[in-house]
Amino acid sequence: MTEPKLFERIKLKIRDLPSNFRIASLGAWRGRERGLAVIAGVFLASLVITTVLAYGVGLSQLFLAESLETEPFDAKIEFKKAPSYGTEGWTNNTTTLMQTCDELTLKVEITDCTVILGRQGIHGNGFFNEDFVVAQPLEMREITSATNELWENVSFDYPELENAGPPISSMRGIRLLGPEAFDGELANRLGERIIFGLGNWSSADIVENKSGVFLPSNIASEAQAKVGDKLDKLTFAYVVDRKAGGGFEDSSEWDCEGTIDVGNNGYAYCRINMTLTDLEILGIYEPWPFGNPTLSPNPIFTTWTALNEIDRARLIDNDHMYLGVTIDRALLPTSSTDAASEWVEDLGVEIESVSYTSENIELFYFDIIGGTITFLEIFLGLVQAFDYIIMIPIVILSLSVLIYGLVLSLEQRRREIAIHRVIGATSKGLQSMVLLELAVMSTFAWIAGYVLAIAVVPLVLSSVGFMAFESLDNVEVNPVLGLGSTIITAFATLGLALLFGRSRSKEFIELEIEEGVKKVREVNKPKRWLHWLMFIIGAIAAIDTWLEMNGSENGLNSNWFIEGLLGLFGPFLLWIGGALLLGRIGAKGPRIMQLFLGKTPLLKDVKRGLKGSGSTESINRLSVIMLLTLSIVTLAAVQGYTGTLVDEYTASATVGSDLQITTEQPTNISEVQNILNDVYGNELSITATTITSIALETEDGDSFQTWVLLNGTRDILDWTEQSIPGADIDSALESYEGLTFSAGESAAYILDIWGSGRKGGDDRGDELLVNGDSRSENLTFTWTDVNFDISGLDLEIQNETAPELGFEQLIFLLESYRASLEVDLSNLNLQNADLSNRDLTGVDFSGTNLSGANLSNSTFTNSLFSDTNLNNVNFSGSNLSNTLIFNSFGVNFITNSDFSGADLEGSIGLFNLSLSNLDNAKCPNGIVTNTSSCDGFLLEPTVENLPSSMAELLFDNDNFNIEIQSTEYNLSLRYIGVHEFLPGIPTSTMSDTLVIGETSWRALVGEDTADNFSTNTWIIKINEIQGDELEGFRANLDADSRISSAMDWSSKHSEVERSGGLIFGTQGLLSLQFVVASIAAVASAFVFLSLVLNQRKKELAVLQAIGASPNQIIRLVLFEILSIVVVSMFLGILLGMALALSFNGLFSVFGFIFGIFGGSETIIDRNLVWPWFELTIVSLTVFVAVVVALLSTTRKALKSDLSTVLKGE
Amino acid sequence: MLEIDGLHRGFGTGSSRVEVLKGINLEIKKGELVALMGPSGCGKSTLLNIIGGLLSAEKGNIKLENRNYGLKGPSSVVDVRRHKVGWIFQDFHLLEHLSAIDNVAMALEISGMSGPEAEKKAERALIRVGLEDRMGHLPEQLSGGQQQRVAIARAIAGERPLLLADEPTGNLDISTGKDVLKIFKDLCHSKENPISILMVTHDPELASKADRMLLLRDGKTATSDIRSAWGTLDGDEE
Repeated sequence: MTEPKLFERIKLKIRDLPSNFRIASLGAWRGRERGLAVIAGVFLASLVITTVLAYGVGLSQLFLAESLETEPFDAKIEFKKAPSYGTEGWTNNTTTLMQTCDELTLKVEITDCTVILGRQGIHGNGFFNEDFVVAQPLEMREITSATNELWENVSFDYPELENAGPPISSMRGIRLLGPEAFDGELANRLGERIIFGLGNWSSADIVENKSGVFLPSNIASEAQAKVGDKLDKLTFAYVVDRKAGGGFEDSSEWDCEGTIDVGNNGYAYCRINMTLTDLEILGIYEPWPFGNPTLSPNPIFTTWTALNEIDRARLIDNDHMYLGVTIDRALLPTSSTDAASEWVEDLGVEIESVSYTSENIELFYFDIIGGTITFLEIFLGLVQAFDYIIMIPIVILSLSVLIYGLVLSLEQRRREIAIHRVIGATSKGLQSMVLLELAVMSTFAWIAGYVLAIAVVPLVLSSVGFMAFESLDNVEVNPVLGLGSTIITAFATLGLALLFGRSRSKEFIELEIEEGVKKVREVNKPKRWLHWLMFIIGAIAAIDTWLEMNGSENGLNSNWFIEGLLGLFGPFLLWIGGALLLGRIGAKGPRIMQLFLGKTPLLKDVKRGLKGSGSTESINRLSVIMLLTLSIVTLAAVQGYTGTLVDEYTASATVGSDLQITTEQPTNISEVQNILNDVYGNELSITATTITSIALETEDGDSFQTWVLLNGTRDILDWTEQSIPGADIDSALESYEGLTFSAGESAAYILDIWGSGRKGGDDRGDELLVNGDSRSENLTFTWTDVNFDISGLDLEIQNETAPELGFEQLIFLLESYRASLEVDLSNLNLQNADLSNRDLTGVDFSGTNLSGANLSNSTFTNSLFSDTNLNNVNFSGSNLSNTLIFNSFGVNFITNSDFSGADLEGSIGLFNLSLSNLDNAKCPNGIVTNTSSCDGFLLEPTVENLPSSMAELLFDNDNFNIEIQSTEYNLSLRYIGVHEFLPGIPTSTMSDTLVIGETSWRALVGEDTADNFSTNTWIIKINEIQGDELEGFRANLDADSRISSAMDWSSKHSEVERSGGLIFGTQGLLSLQFVVASIAAVASAFVFLSLVLNQRKKELAVLQAIGASPNQIIRLVLFEILSIVVVSMFLGILLGMALALSFNGLFSVFGFIFGIFGGSETIIDRNLVWPWFELTIVSLTVFVAVVVALLSTTRKALKSDLSTVLKGE
Repeated sequence: MLEIDGLHRGFGTGSSRVEVLKGINLEIKKGELVALMGPSGCGKSTLLNIIGGLLSAEKGNIKLENRNYGLKGPSSVVDVRRHKVGWIFQDFHLLEHLSAIDNVAMALEISGMSGPEAEKKAERALIRVGLEDRMGHLPEQLSGGQQQRVAIARAIAGERPLLLADEPTGNLDISTGKDVLKIFKDLCHSKENPISILMVTHDPELASKADRMLLLRDGKTATSDIRSAWGTLDGDEE
């Protein structure tokens, strides 16, 4: 074609467009019944696809926001170069600096800014450059208060910092904030963590007038400080000089006015103290989790208005000044994390490129958000990949509704097109007529779906469980799709509809006119073999998953590659293949239902009319659509509920009940009650229990940590049937009340009893073994009661009123020894900490939790491990010579630890190393072993064996001796099966342990000991407080000095759900799937029925003409359609169940990956839950919708003019 | 047997109203084959629909055997369609998914007959129209003429006294059309149980073979004598 012609045509088109559009709109309106199918399809597809994409956007916003919560400041803006007299570009005048802040906040990106005196300038990029570790914070030194002596003992050491990032400083910092930090965005972010009831983030005036201080709760708790307390002095240290390398400790070589200390970063610093006076505590805040290490975490906050201008200038001169800014996070591009990093970088460049105020201040922008984004990039990618995968079914469903809708609606145009051709319309004209009408309808539907999706996404993101939502407080989500994504949604819906419409209408136009006018049309035979193939592969994948869930090692095949392919594609093949095949059975619904109802009066006179029904294509489609939708409804409900329960069970398994607290001192139940009442400020009704443990030894010498389950825990602990042997909690707990025990799987293996799978598949299972069961057996266990008899102690030197001889003496002795040790790392939670390659000589680890810690190649000479948790510790290669190791609970308290290559020579105490790895270790007696031959080793401490530092305490009393009196108690216990875990007990070691009940425990330790039992850890059920209030209560408990740590169910659950949870946000997506599929089921039932019945208008008229009454017609139609719908729904639910099963494999794979990345795993199995109630409700709704649609359309058909219908059009 | 008295029917309202039937009077005797002719749109089908109980008249009365009706809607005259009139349409209107015998038996069953009896009668009716070897076939497996014969069997199986045929040969070729007409004649002139047939047709040849011909003009029946209408005496029964 030539150019002018084309131009002419376009001109013509544009000229005609308004009128064509009007005609198309009119046509669309007139044909609205058939258009309904198209509109429904496009709307659904647009809703789903837009939601999935917008969800990704919202997710990354939410993720970013939650990650950024760990640090209220978004950037640290410093002087471009470190201040030095004689250079330009800086000032020590706070007024000028505040002006600089004002100029910065003029930028739209920056929402708040304040001058802060705190960490020194870094002046260089990246976490890993040396500058990053060199710059020092203002370190806390001491606080004194005339009214509170406890402040003298408060240490501002911050040992946790060692594991929280690069070695910058090991002290707690202080930040002196400017007035702007007490209003606006900064006040919002900083004030957010003030614990409810413990002060508030006050206004700048109040903070200035009172010289206000804000403390982290652990510091406040240590000093038992309260809001309103006056502090006389607060001393901190600033850096005036530094030198690289060591050897500067001697001040004579270094002209340092203050004190010199050498940091872990290899630099020596000269610091000078500065003191603030007359301060008042205005608030106590809950510490932020460790995040970005740029600013020293959880500092003391106060205001620099408490300093005079000279002192401020002195801090600024030494580079202790930065501008803390917040940026408008909503402006951060969320389309990709790359874009976000780039945006932040651009902002930095922009800020650095100009100078500020009349003094030409030059700035350096140190980005805090950036590091967070880098981590997000990887994690978010995974989360999104998973979320997209689980949304595939609903996308396919919506597209198939769209295509089916198009087919049905265009089918009705076939004759119309042929007739138009007869009267001389051109092909092009006809096609554009059809397409324009289609375009009008689908554009409308696309926009509606798009808008609804954008509105719905925040709701989906706020899900905290299947069909459970909580408002997203303090996080702003504003998911907007970029142009690219919007085009994708348009193409996938509108574009698809138009392309499909174009090819279909072209096909119609190419048909012979005669064929087009025909009322029936040959349909291509569907590819049944393909459906079968898909179904069979999918079924194999489902069976494979099922076998593996039920104990088979490899399922149907063991090749990991095929396994992976099956796991990924199997569910989808099963779904599509299954729906297409089962659709044929569904279409035969009337015949199936006739088997039940054929003989009843309901069908007697119309039965014959059902013969051969279901053979038509549209009936088949109705059935397939019902199958597709109902199976997704089922899948979403089953997986949604299962996931929700897994998360809830995970929280319950961790916390045990509503609350778990660890007290500083051993307490009994009434003391716990008192503490809780004190903190709550009112009488609380609680029930509480504790799970203690003892060590039991078998006749073969194997020793096990054994948990004691006290009576009456049924209503206190959150039990699930997964934890106990068997499926019935009540009977399991009843069994524990006898002289019985259960074993973890590994323990069962060592004991060689049923339940470990040691002897094949029949040798395991989740069963409660009753008395007399051949798999149950009686085993005799030994518990060793250890008492210490100390004699010859020169008590006068220590304490004239020292208690009598016995166990308490040892404790007394240990206390004395503790006091002599220099480094105090007692009563800390150093679980899983990395303390390898350290010099930890003479450290007091009393009461510290070191379980899972890495202590390899460190030196512990003369250190004390008293009541220290030493399970799963890596001691490989470390020097443990001359250490003291005791535990008040017995001897078997070191399990699963690794002592390979360690030197234990000269260690004394009372401990059994045989439960750990001793390869090449030097035993306390100096002998190197390459087996576990320190077996049963108990070294009796004598005065000769004591470390010299301990001996000094005892002076010259050669008669000192400690005798150990150990008494063995035997008890025969009956085995009742395998346990998985106990609520509230860390799950990682449960497999190696035993569980006994209170009766057995009392029989072993004696009634006296049991009655006077007190402990540190309590698991508490509180009925009065829940949710947010419980979280607040827990924060208050955390801040209380009597409590060393507390966790509550609600926070734990949020943690599991939102960040550490199996898969972030999955429940929301599954809820969405459930809702959309339910709506699709109801809507498509309605739309498709109208179309199907419309096609059958003539048949109904014929039936009436030959004598059928309206009643007979309604019975015939209702029965036929309803039986198709009912059978299809039933099959759909069955298919959905199979689908949920085979999706479980996929969930497990992703759960595993997320476990690795998120660092949280769950012991809870994904046992499928079947939410029959919800499924029944949806099925009933669909059923009612179908009946309503049927009655209304049939009535319409009955009322229509029979003579006209029979005559033709 | 069929007496129609002053039947009126119009369509539309106000200025667009068209009076189609303006007082039809006619009578058909038992065993009579009557052809109804007239120009397009004159109301032939309307008249047939009213007699067949698919449409109501506005004025007048129909008496078929002992049943009086005409003014009530289709739902009130189910009994007429069940027991009094059988329908034969131009495009057969068989139920596509039912075999020939099921199509016939279905009509009997909805009139209240038991299954086995309906099948027996349906079989007899199909034999009567010469389809004894096509009973199990689906409509799509039958030719046009055969389909129309199934439709005839469906109409006569219930021993209804009157058959209404709306252009019964309109979709058939000439020889097949003749076959259908022959069946009609056989039915009307059967000795045992003769029935009456009112047939709308445009085909003068066909009409000429009827016992009597009615011409519908200006909403009234103009003549009722086939011989005077065509000036022929050819009453051959071939």
